[in-house]
Amino acid sequence: MKNIFKFLIEIGKLKGKKRRGWQIHKIKNPETTAEHIFHLAILVWILGKKKKLNIERAIKIALVHDICEVYSPDLTSYDAVAVREKGRLTIKDVAKIRPKIGRPTIKQRKKLEKIKQKLEAGAMKKLTSKLSPEVKGEINQLWLDFEKGLSREARFVKQADRMVNLLQGLEYWRKYGRIEYKLWVRRAKEVIDEPIFLEFLKEIEREQIEKKLNQR
Amino acid sequence: MSEIKKFYLTKEGLEKIKKEYRNLRSLRLAKTNGEAPKIFESEDLNPEYLSFQEDLSFLESRIVELEYILKNTLLIRPPAGKKQNIIDLGAKVTVEVSNQMDEFTIVGSLEADPALGKISNESPVGQALLGHRKGEEISVSSPIETIYKIRKIRYLS
Repeated sequence: MKNIFKFLIEIGKLKGKKRRGWQIHKIKNPETTAEHIFHLAILVWILGKKKKLNIERAIKIALVHDICEVYSPDLTSYDAVAVREKGRLTIKDVAKIRPKIGRPTIKQRKKLEKIKQKLEAGAMKKLTSKLSPEVKGEINQLWLDFEKGLSREARFVKQADRMVNLLQGLEYWRKYGRIEYKLWVRRAKEVIDEPIFLEFLKEIEREQIEKKLNQR
Repeated sequence: MSEIKKFYLTKEGLEKIKKEYRNLRSLRLAKTNGEAPKIFESEDLNPEYLSFQEDLSFLESRIVELEYILKNTLLIRPPAGKKQNIIDLGAKVTVEVSNQMDEFTIVGSLEADPALGKISNESPVGQALLGHRKGEEISVSSPIETIYKIRKIRYLS
């Protein structure tokens, strides 16, 4: 029980962890990792039913997909833009990165991705180390499933993750106008291929963008 | 009856699936016999195998899924001759979009990894690029129009 209590205290820190991507955009009071997880889990539950997925597994994947951020940095594509194309990238270098808004090259993305995986795997190990083998095994397995996209459920959650990010970005754009909404929608059309989310994307465009543009 | 889904895979992607299938089958066999699986002796062991060891039902379902994928795989091959000037699956495409250069490899949904520039042929941009040539422009619209200018097409053999 003591170890579960400690784990919950650690996980609870995500309620106060502001998401880095929004901070880079200087969003006032941006969503936290826990808020993002909540939003994602609801989306996965509701739309996952239409895909006849194992909803319990899908929701659990959504719940654990970002918990490593208790200890690992929430690295974004803005950090990749700041990565030098040549030379080695170390964990120490990553800590010094000053993110930039823009589009990273494949080389920059690959370099950062490697370090990110290392940091996140280490964070997961630390976070779950004191839990019972059964609970630790399940959490780590669900997290790895998400990372590697092994099951249909994990691949669906990955697409849903991109969808809620777009939804949140557009909400900030409507509120503060700070988000490059064109870039965000464009990116969504490159990365989303799940038919349910493509349908959902059309609805977002109608509701969030056309309405806002018509108000101007 | 529902349509059978086909999985487009590159040679590299197919090899990866085959390797995973082989490893998971040997893991299942070892578990059945109560032995320590040989794959755990490998230095380049992927951590997901350790998690499969924890959950037999997940191991079984992954093996079934891999069998289904392997049965319904369409291998992506580089096109011959002049067809190399046309974007098809497996093409590495350099585009100019909003005055910035970007690079995509068009792959099937299973191999898509946008963080590494691999986009799915089923995404709106992937779909729109297919069948076009160097110098052409494609538009992905409603309600915001985005123009992708195709600068370079390459195929890795």
